[in-house]
Amino acid sequence: MPHGMTRREFVKKGLTMVAVGATAPSFLTRTALAMTNPWDLAEVQSRPGVPDQRILVVVQLGGGNDGLNTVVPFADDAYYRARPTLAVPQKDVLRLTDGLGLHPALVRLKALYDQGAAAVVQGVGYPNPSRSHFRSMEIWHTADPEGRVVRYGWIGRYFDSQCPVCDQPTVGVNVGPTLPLAMRAASGQGVTLESPETFQWMPSFEGIGRQEQVELFRLLNAPAPNEPGTIDFLRHTAMNAYVSAEQVRAAVARYRGGTGYPNSHFAASLRLIAQMIAGGLPTRVYYAHMTGFDTHAAQRGVHERLLAELAEGVEAFYRDLRAQGNADRVLTLAFSEFGRRVAENGSAGTDHGTAAPIFLFGPAVKGGLYGQHPSLTDLTDGDLKHAIDFRSVYATVLERWLGADPVKILGAPFGRVPFI
Amino acid sequence: MAEPSLRRFRPTASAPWDEVRAAHLLNRAGFGGPPEEVRRLVALGPDGAVEELLGYERVPEAFPPPDYSELGRLAEEAEALRRAGADEAARRALAQRIGRAQREALQATREWWVARMVQTRRPLQEKMVLFWHGLLVSGFPEVRNPVLLYQQNELFRRMALGNFKALILAISRDPAMLTYLDNASNRKGRPNENYARELLELFTMGIGHYTEQDVKEAARAFTGWTFRGTEFVFNRAQHDDGVKTFLGRTGPLDGTDIIDIIFEQPATARFLPRRLFEFFAGYRPPDGLVEELARTFRAVDFEVGPLVRTILRSEAFYAPQALRAQVKSPAQLVIGTARLLGVGPEAARALTLAMDLMGQALLIPPHVGGWPSGEGWITTSTILVRYNFAGLLTNGQMPGVPRRAAGGLRPVEVAGLLDGAETAGEAVAALTRRFLPGAALDRKRTFALLRALGANRPTDPVRLTPQRVRTALHLILSMPEYQLC
Repeated sequence: MPHGMTRREFVKKGLTMVAVGATAPSFLTRTALAMTNPWDLAEVQSRPGVPDQRILVVVQLGGGNDGLNTVVPFADDAYYRARPTLAVPQKDVLRLTDGLGLHPALVRLKALYDQGAAAVVQGVGYPNPSRSHFRSMEIWHTADPEGRVVRYGWIGRYFDSQCPVCDQPTVGVNVGPTLPLAMRAASGQGVTLESPETFQWMPSFEGIGRQEQVELFRLLNAPAPNEPGTIDFLRHTAMNAYVSAEQVRAAVARYRGGTGYPNSHFAASLRLIAQMIAGGLPTRVYYAHMTGFDTHAAQRGVHERLLAELAEGVEAFYRDLRAQGNADRVLTLAFSEFGRRVAENGSAGTDHGTAAPIFLFGPAVKGGLYGQHPSLTDLTDGDLKHAIDFRSVYATVLERWLGADPVKILGAPFGRVPFI
Repeated sequence: MAEPSLRRFRPTASAPWDEVRAAHLLNRAGFGGPPEEVRRLVALGPDGAVEELLGYERVPEAFPPPDYSELGRLAEEAEALRRAGADEAARRALAQRIGRAQREALQATREWWVARMVQTRRPLQEKMVLFWHGLLVSGFPEVRNPVLLYQQNELFRRMALGNFKALILAISRDPAMLTYLDNASNRKGRPNENYARELLELFTMGIGHYTEQDVKEAARAFTGWTFRGTEFVFNRAQHDDGVKTFLGRTGPLDGTDIIDIIFEQPATARFLPRRLFEFFAGYRPPDGLVEELARTFRAVDFEVGPLVRTILRSEAFYAPQALRAQVKSPAQLVIGTARLLGVGPEAARALTLAMDLMGQALLIPPHVGGWPSGEGWITTSTILVRYNFAGLLTNGQMPGVPRRAAGGLRPVEVAGLLDGAETAGEAVAALTRRFLPGAALDRKRTFALLRALGANRPTDPVRLTPQRVRTALHLILSMPEYQLC
């Protein structure tokens, strides 16, 4: 925050400005200075909630999911020529149309599709695609293929555009080790956690009493003016964490349900998200991760297992949400940084490619297939040409689901894909 | 702030060679250490201290390797089963036992490495092993055989400050790497691009200095580079010896030629110096400084030792933006705390798990890009885990670490931590000297630490129980200041 500003000045200006400095989270700068006691949970929780109760869940398929073996063009000879060992046999495909079908491991997704609760947007990508995991993931997270320097993510910019309404760090919750760039906001919102068990501060069990230790802990971690960037960032993160931990743990304690999830890390993440939704956390966007899609060698078994994990996790998630009565409020978007090369390599795997399908789930979507399957013969350097820019998918979600202005967030107008 | 420079650091009245700067060197070129180690470096002077750290070959060190005999036995059993033509069920049962034994051996290897970092008398060598593991990334589960990961770890140790070009050639032939990035199955006709791409993007040059066509051509050149058992093998039958064009050079290039061409590129001379400077100094070097380091690096024919010497002796390394400004990696935090407190190798299991929870699972990297750095280590999740690590040391409990894993830990010995303090104020000063060298604490925070010791004024006589000292320690380790070095 700017040096030398008084609390009164800050309160006056604070609500309309975004934080200065790389990572200074305005939630806490604002609240720390605006509230008489920044650690007062009651004061934090009594802040206005989110008027609209819709929730977005983003699922990241890290490593580059093989789109061609996910939504299979089983009527196209070119597919079988390009994939002599990896092609999904025609008879095993779960048919969606006369030419397209899902990988057999996606049987649970097929069930959602048949209920009209799954949409597939085909051939999604962006111009001059990068085949670097890191660069391409950055592009998807910032929604900025042109490589302007964007420090904040598309979801983070959405948070910023909604403030001060979404004035809580838990407006965005990531289940995973690091906060994704997509969620990074100028205003510092966004919480990341791995499990409720480790998401708490535990005082020492000896010496002076617990209550006094907690007070001293708060004192030692309270933000102070005029401190250099990194220590300030640490204090704010600690305070965000401490305050959110109480909220999250309380929310999770309210709902123990959620049975029938398969035994996978991904399913555990979705189960935790379902608990937080049921517990009434004021969160607009949740983020969950799967990894391992970088299948350069011996792809068949690995990819099959990953797709099954995805399908079974999402299906169990919606079963849980329906039992809670929350399914209608939750839209899920699953994406990967790129698809894979059309032709398999000599390791029974596939190298980095370009366009791929995006999935949307939830009773709120208009189920079905959107866009055209990319041609397997009209290629650029052996890779598929994209037909739909991923930013039109974002624009659709931002406008029709989250009620935000996509141009403001994405910096340019994009079309809509009518899945909502 | 003056532009950081590679000029030799010379102590002045305002920037003396003192315990703060010696601790900075020991932290960055190693894992820190107790005040007596810091004072030894002070006595050596800045250049002498750097030479002491660089000249680790003079210090004898022997760590017996982890015990992999069980894996060997199971491999023999598998071979016997295969020869006897055993049925599917028997083979599957054995495969399961091998899988379990591999996971156990992986955990043993991880703990072996942690114990080694905790105990080593060659801190810079171990710091470089950690650096190389984070740059030339391989790991589980892609590499299932922990013997290969151990072998790679020893390669990094052997070549820690050696020649970068030689290391790149060695890692291109390293079985763990050949597995992790699939070059082991990179065959003529349908090449596998995984290794070639990351070699260019992440290991030597960085994105933007080559084309997609260069990636494809380099992949062809590395066809046939594979391994058998634990040894590199060049499989001539799978090697594509046709003509390739890579970064403007044309010929029947093979992997060695590709590496030669890579090391002729200006981008390569800049790449490692930039990474090493950020690793040690903790901030982004200005372009001019990178150019200067690149010239040095080329002049010494890509020897890493002289490059590290130049960095550690520079004014830039002791610049205000370097001191106490680096977020400790989980390894730095955990190993450094263990060394400060004299925690022994019996704690290796608990320490390894604590690092896992903080996001640095050794030998199980998140992806080929390696670990986060700087503020990237800190999230609302990891900051609480890092704070809770205090509990592991002070009362053997930490959320997320099973009680039996913490079994080897005794409550930390605190008698020696207070340097004979007679008042509460002296006790706080002794603790902050040891744990937060160079940090400026305001009165409020100093008061909080007095209260943790059960005192109200600095002049209060010390009436300390070990329990109170441990509580104060718990709070110091739960401070933002302790996350920096």
